Amino acid sequence: MDESSLIHEAQHGDLDAFNTLVLAYQDIVYNTALRILGDEDLAADASQDAFISSFRALNSYRGGSFRAWLLRTVTNACYDELRRKKRRPTISLEPSTDDGDDVETPRWLSDPNATPEEQLDQAELEHAIQHCLENLPTDFRTVVVLADIQGLDYTEVAAAVKKPLGTIKSRLARARLRLRECLQSFRELLPAAFRLEEERGL
Amino acid sequence: MTILSFRDVEQLSAFLDGQLTQVEMSRLEARIRSDPALASTLADLRQARSILHRTPKRRLPRNFTLTPKMAGIKPPVPRSVPALGWASAVAMLVFTFTLGANLLSKLSFGAAAPMLAAAPVTSEGYGLGGGPAPTAPSASDNTQITPTPETSLLVIPTQTLSSETRQVPPSATPSPKAKFDFDDYWPYLWLGLALVLVAAALLIRKASVQAFRRKMSGKRNQ
Repeated sequence: MDESSLIHEAQHGDLDAFNTLVLAYQDIVYNTALRILGDEDLAADASQDAFISSFRALNSYRGGSFRAWLLRTVTNACYDELRRKKRRPTISLEPSTDDGDDVETPRWLSDPNATPEEQLDQAELEHAIQHCLENLPTDFRTVVVLADIQGLDYTEVAAAVKKPLGTIKSRLARARLRLRECLQSFRELLPAAFRLEEERGL
Repeated sequence: MTILSFRDVEQLSAFLDGQLTQVEMSRLEARIRSDPALASTLADLRQARSILHRTPKRRLPRNFTLTPKMAGIKPPVPRSVPALGWASAVAMLVFTFTLGANLLSKLSFGAAAPMLAAAPVTSEGYGLGGGPAPTAPSASDNTQITPTPETSLLVIPTQTLSSETRQVPPSATPSPKAKFDFDDYWPYLWLGLALVLVAAALLIRKASVQAFRRKMSGKRNQ
């Protein structure tokens, strides 16, 4: 069954059709929430809330990119979580470095077949990216996560954050500039492959 | 080397994503070729984008599929359930009214009984077809009457009646203990009916919920 038929069925209350859509999009929804929030548990909660809200508000979907519509729900859920987090700050239970940064461990990474060295490279890269993302204002972070990490085009990003294309262009440019500056401070931590790319001037 | 404006950076970022028009693109490409600052910033932006593209994807901690409860889907209520509920409510109301009416009538009858017992009762009007009855001769009078076959037919029943009706027996009010009175018990039949209807409604509802759960888990396992 294609996506539009599943959406149509789900709009008529078919939970199985909606769950098929959930299985197709849960990966992008969870990873978006994780990059915006920087916390696995909060990201899981936000993803679940987003799917529940989406099912209840499915009749408000009027065509267009379903992925963008779904990601708008998850970004809203993330903003709610961030507001909640601001009101009730929590202390991370993960071990942290002297700088106060959480230590990322290879067990969290997605590829269990990677060699220990690859896993370490991935962990370092992820740590650097997450640190730099968290230093961005939330609006910039959301745009850069949607465009550069999840690969949405400008129109989809605009639909997901409900902002005009000009705003998306501007936020993305600013976010990329800031990220570039931040990532330069992690140069030694970045994977060797990336450092070679950098030297080649890519 | 020129100092770049934010507009230039924005254009470079859009250029990377192929979001410029053909004219804007060719104009910017010409500037990039002649301006090393533009070329360097473009390289920086491209590098940042390249790193972000490499962000590792995390495995999901669990599936986020919804259960009917999460989605707020309730099992359908069979049509008979509300009907049984209403019928039960009506039976309960009838029970309350009849029980109340019974108690009230007993109380008022109980209050009137001593008055009835105290009132002098004659044979007049005591259920012999109404109307003033001829004064019954007293027992002593009867001794003076020479019984004839005709008078004996008339007198003997009168004598029996007068001896029975000379005083109202204290047990004139029928005793519920002595005699089974359906009026005292039939309100409880309504109560029983109400309870049976409620039990039936609950059983039907439970069966429908179980059937719904079986259906949903069957679909999930498919």
